[in-house]
Amino acid sequence: MSDQVNTISDVEFGCELPSFNPDTSLDNVKYFGEFVGWGGPRFTDHEAARKEGFPGALVPGVMSQGFLGAMVHRWAPAADIIAIDTVFRAPVLVDQTHHITGVVTDIDQETGSVEIDITVSNEEEETRVFGTATAKLPTS
Amino acid sequence: MDEDIEAMRDQFLNREFDEVKFEINGESFAAYAKACGETHPRFTDPSHEDFQAPPTFVSTLVGGRNLPGNFPRPKGVGMDAGKAVEWMAPIRSGVTLTGKSHMHDIYTKTGRSGRMIFLVRRTELYDEDNVHVANADTRTVIREKPSE
Repeated sequence: MSDQVNTISDVEFGCELPSFNPDTSLDNVKYFGEFVGWGGPRFTDHEAARKEGFPGALVPGVMSQGFLGAMVHRWAPAADIIAIDTVFRAPVLVDQTHHITGVVTDIDQETGSVEIDITVSNEEEETRVFGTATAKLPTS
Repeated sequence: MDEDIEAMRDQFLNREFDEVKFEINGESFAAYAKACGETHPRFTDPSHEDFQAPPTFVSTLVGGRNLPGNFPRPKGVGMDAGKAVEWMAPIRSGVTLTGKSHMHDIYTKTGRSGRMIFLVRRTELYDEDNVHVANADTRTVIREKPSE
């Protein structure tokens, strides 16, 4: 991937990370539930989720947080994420297309630290999850 | 700050109320990594020399209880408002972590629909050598029902 970065000197303030669409399919959420947890009906069964008052099955919040981490590593494979704060603003619905975008909001060239704002939005461009990550990249 | 929130803070902040052991299984965190879209083999391939859990994996480690046993339950609907992770060291397959939980913060915000109480539970994770490897925070928001 040509837009990956390797060291802090590759990073520019305000640059946008390569965006991607996370896999929110029912099969992937079931796979997550099987191996990690959060396999309850509200996450793995649209009808059961509707009976609970949701518009459909939900992607677990811990999975959405994982999408944010993956975005940073896809962009900067050598980065260590040292902090990540995730705000769940609205449900991420299973089997609906979502899009993740990120932008660098701060850089410390000396320590190799970057701050990145990351947003998960749906097809209506409504923000569902918002997060801020601090990551350290190699300085040379 | 509201008096009831001040009292809760005085009584509960920074007092450990739960301790639990977690056996870390590489198969589980590799599956987590793949499901979340990680592509780097250090997170997805157990044969990689630096195989480790993605930092956010610790958010999946749930303790025995969410709140102190004698915590007053505010009336209202609780929702998961967010999660935060501080990463200090890699977590490898096969280790046993000890998670120690305390209330890290209690605060309010007031919106058009009334007061919302935010409860932040922090789980500090330590490895077998008592090295502090991560913090995992869960932020729960309770929208209070208006009193009748």
